[in-house]
Amino acid sequence: MTPTPGAVAVRTEQLTRVYRTGGQGVTALAGVDATFARGTFTAVMGPSGSGKSTLLQTAAGLDRPTSGRVWIGATELSRLSETALTKLRRTHVGFVFQAFNLIGALTVEENILLPLRLADVRADRRWLAEVVERVGLGDRLRHRPSALSGGQQQRVAIARALATRPEVIFCDEPTGALDTQTAAEVLALLRAVVDEQGQTVIMVTHDPVAASYADRVMVLADGRIVRDMPQPGANRIAEELASLGRTVQGVR
Amino acid sequence: MIKLAAQMLRRRIGSALATLVALTVGVVILTALGAMVESGLRYRPAAQQYAAADVVVAHRDLSFTTKELGDVNRVTVALPEGGTVPAALADELRSVPGVATVVADVRVPVVGSGPATGHGWSSAVLTPYEIIKGDPPAQAGDVVLDARLAGDAGPGDRTTLLVGGSAREFRVSGIATGAGPESVFFTDAQAAKLAANSGKVDAIGVVAEPGADKKAVAAAVGKVAGGTGAKAYAGSDLGAAESDEGSARTLLITIGASLGGYVVMLVGFVVAGTIGLSVRHRRRDLALLRAVAATPGQVRRMVVAEAMLLGLAGAAIGVPGGYLATEWVHGQFAGRGFLPAGFPMSIGVLSAPAAVLTIVLVAMLSALAAARRVTRIRPTEALGEAAVEPAESGKVRLVFGVLTLAGAGTAGSLTVGAGGQTALAGAIGMLYLFVTAVALLAPWINRTSAQLLTPLLRGVWGTSGYLATKNLKASAQGMTTVLTALVLSVGFGGSVWFLQDNLQRQTVEQVREGTLAQHALVSPAGLPGSAVADARAVPGVQAATGVRRTSVILKVLGDAEAVPAQAVDVGGAATLDLRVTSGSMADLGADGVAVSQLQAGSSGWKVGDRARFWLGDGTPVELRVAAIYQRGLGFGDVTLPREVVAGHTARNLDDQVLIRTAPGADADRALAALAARYPGSALVASADLNQQLAQDLAVSAWLNKLLIGVMVGYAALAAANTMVMAALARRRELSLLRLVGVTKRQVKRMVHAEQTGLLGVALVIGGGIAATTLVAVVNALTGDPVPYVPALGWVAVIGGTALLALVTTVLPIGRLLRVPAVESIGTKE
Repeated sequence: MTPTPGAVAVRTEQLTRVYRTGGQGVTALAGVDATFARGTFTAVMGPSGSGKSTLLQTAAGLDRPTSGRVWIGATELSRLSETALTKLRRTHVGFVFQAFNLIGALTVEENILLPLRLADVRADRRWLAEVVERVGLGDRLRHRPSALSGGQQQRVAIARALATRPEVIFCDEPTGALDTQTAAEVLALLRAVVDEQGQTVIMVTHDPVAASYADRVMVLADGRIVRDMPQPGANRIAEELASLGRTVQGVR
Repeated sequence: MIKLAAQMLRRRIGSALATLVALTVGVVILTALGAMVESGLRYRPAAQQYAAADVVVAHRDLSFTTKELGDVNRVTVALPEGGTVPAALADELRSVPGVATVVADVRVPVVGSGPATGHGWSSAVLTPYEIIKGDPPAQAGDVVLDARLAGDAGPGDRTTLLVGGSAREFRVSGIATGAGPESVFFTDAQAAKLAANSGKVDAIGVVAEPGADKKAVAAAVGKVAGGTGAKAYAGSDLGAAESDEGSARTLLITIGASLGGYVVMLVGFVVAGTIGLSVRHRRRDLALLRAVAATPGQVRRMVVAEAMLLGLAGAAIGVPGGYLATEWVHGQFAGRGFLPAGFPMSIGVLSAPAAVLTIVLVAMLSALAAARRVTRIRPTEALGEAAVEPAESGKVRLVFGVLTLAGAGTAGSLTVGAGGQTALAGAIGMLYLFVTAVALLAPWINRTSAQLLTPLLRGVWGTSGYLATKNLKASAQGMTTVLTALVLSVGFGGSVWFLQDNLQRQTVEQVREGTLAQHALVSPAGLPGSAVADARAVPGVQAATGVRRTSVILKVLGDAEAVPAQAVDVGGAATLDLRVTSGSMADLGADGVAVSQLQAGSSGWKVGDRARFWLGDGTPVELRVAAIYQRGLGFGDVTLPREVVAGHTARNLDDQVLIRTAPGADADRALAALAARYPGSALVASADLNQQLAQDLAVSAWLNKLLIGVMVGYAALAAANTMVMAALARRRELSLLRLVGVTKRQVKRMVHAEQTGLLGVALVIGGGIAATTLVAVVNALTGDPVPYVPALGWVAVIGGTALLALVTTVLPIGRLLRVPAVESIGTKE
């Protein structure tokens, strides 16, 4: 299978990541093949230590795999230098983390513009106005992050991720630190970004409700994909996860 | 990038304050030092006494070449007694084309209504001095007085002048005015007779014919004079021929150069430390920047740009501060006699820009060094929950640290084996190496000491102590600056500051113990040889010794140095006990020399060797080493027979006559009568002489203490900065501790235990280094194996450290604890 530009946002091939701690190797990813189509919303799930965060980090070019390859759009990452990788990230990849997403010293607007500024690219004012409108932060642009609620902070992070019109947005537990109501708002925003702007979102989460906003649910265990299914609804996801827990325990 | 850096900086100015303070103070110190060096370099004493001369031939310094490891060095040293030139040279100069007038100038120290210098009347044209009343001197008994000295006296009056230590009466033939120091004029013949230095004159002044090419005349004069060791001074150098303010100039340049290098080093160290710490504290921010968009290069540039901006801000505050500091130093120096009152202090046209450039460059380079760390921050750290400081201390650093430590040990053993200046140089080298080794090994020292202190801290502080040891271990890397700065303060401060105390004490003690005489006849105008003879004739006097203080020039380690010396007449052994260790003072004779152990060690002299050096006026001598003695601090490193220095000191008189009376003899009245016979002299108990000496020493110690105070103060500031920064960054950690059930009191006790551990280790190491250095130096200088540390010294070192801990950590932590824990746990650090 050859990568098809335009249709595939992110693809991994035999992705392996081994952490070395004190002479012992811990396998976090054991050969993951995955393709994420453009305009889709994928939830990556799995128990703690299943390798879901590592998959996100290596697929996003934040961390380098031990072996295997990653494409973002048409670019293969393994041959890129650290600087080239950073440049790719700032134009083609957006990030939303669980917390500490924003630089406290910068205002909301400055945080949103940060990737553009570092890339030395002039901001497209109309697009930005649209993004700000979209996330509903028009009146908070001059505030510092410390003056915002957790949900607002996550919305700023989403705005920042959208600012460069990236190939893909990676989210690592974006609602992990939020209450149910706020979490629902943030997830709805992500959903809308996919539906209305054709963005690609890959989100790591352990919350079946959060995963229910996605089109597709991918479940990892012990560094391998064990389920890959169209989103079947929150209850079904929870059941799948529970059964998986039993299986894993049974195996051990 | 600069704009982003400025934005980030503006909003976290609080944590950048530490770096800003260090940079500002650095600029202040460097600007002041720069102004001192600049003033020294620019200083051209204006010609006063020789203002009307075109060329002056004088012998003011000594030059020779040395060969060190194949390098040929030209060494020039100012003559402490001011040299002389042969009188015959004047006749040769008269035949130089273009020369109109040649005057052989002699100087005769006299005291009238105030101290003055006597010259022959022909010297008057060199200033020029002009008669305003009366006539020039015509007969041997005539004198022309400076209007400033004359008072009510007019032509025809009689006046008494103290010349050569005795009072003589002269007839005032006229009153004259002129510039420069106060002068009186005799006939040329009388002046030459009073100077009593046949065939030699102090300087030769040359006035060129009107219209003659003065440069050509100066060159021609220089050629003729060249053979005698004298130099021709002309143009803007003319003032150097009459002034001995070269020492002030050298003092300024030496201070600036020696302290400047140290300050630059320290600024680099402090800035690298504080910026390193700020990078450490912002690790998550920087990781986020890396993850979102910034290349490693961009983050590094941002950190460097921040340092540059801080450097410039520091300059804006520091330069005016530096000017104020320069003013203050100038006032103090002039007030304490290190600088002549009229010494022009240039207010640093070059020094301020140089200081700013240096500081900004050092700040940027140190930031670059600290920013290397940034490269190692992986963007994935932005995803993590806790900001964990990775334990990373390079192997290279460890290797260098161990090597430096080994070097310090070697330097230490060198000190034990060697004597004299070598031992001193070894001890200072050891001090520097030890401190550098501590700086390099600091992370390991912190970690190991935390480990070793665990039982102690747990024993004393219980659970809080246990937490403290864990924190000490975890912050081992971050606290390297604190350890190093404190070790540096205590090590340098302890050794150099207390060394001054030791030197002062030893000097006074040596003089007290070494002076066997009970009385001393002293005179600021000098005492003639007859005073000693008269003192010996007083009934009840066992012995009397005329003592003349001077300096000689010795070669020391490829350089030349003026070394304090004394000249004594025969019978010195009865009034002075120099504590001779080999040879005998009785063997001094007329061609011998006695030297201190320190000097003998430096020059490699043993009793019986031929010692070659120069007298204070530049005359080379070769003398037999007759004795080696211990009390060099009190009595000078070289003791000469008076015959050797006769005619080679500026005044050619004794400074004091030491008088020893027989036990029980009542010679007080007769001695008082003796003092009355020599105008200007006074009889003092030798104990009072000591007091005067102690005061003089305190003045020179002040300078050294000022310098070391600046060094130590700056290092302590560095430690304080880092500690405040570290304390304020602990908001979250402390809140977390309190939320899991640690009481406020326990937190406070934990902080106390931490401070005790950290500062205790710094005190012990710094104290150890100071003690080692002090023992080595004091032993080399005085032969005393146990240095003296004043009680107040202990209090200052320990109290200062405790104060530092209180102000920089205990109080800020106390403030943090006043905020409810729940409030601060939510905020980002």
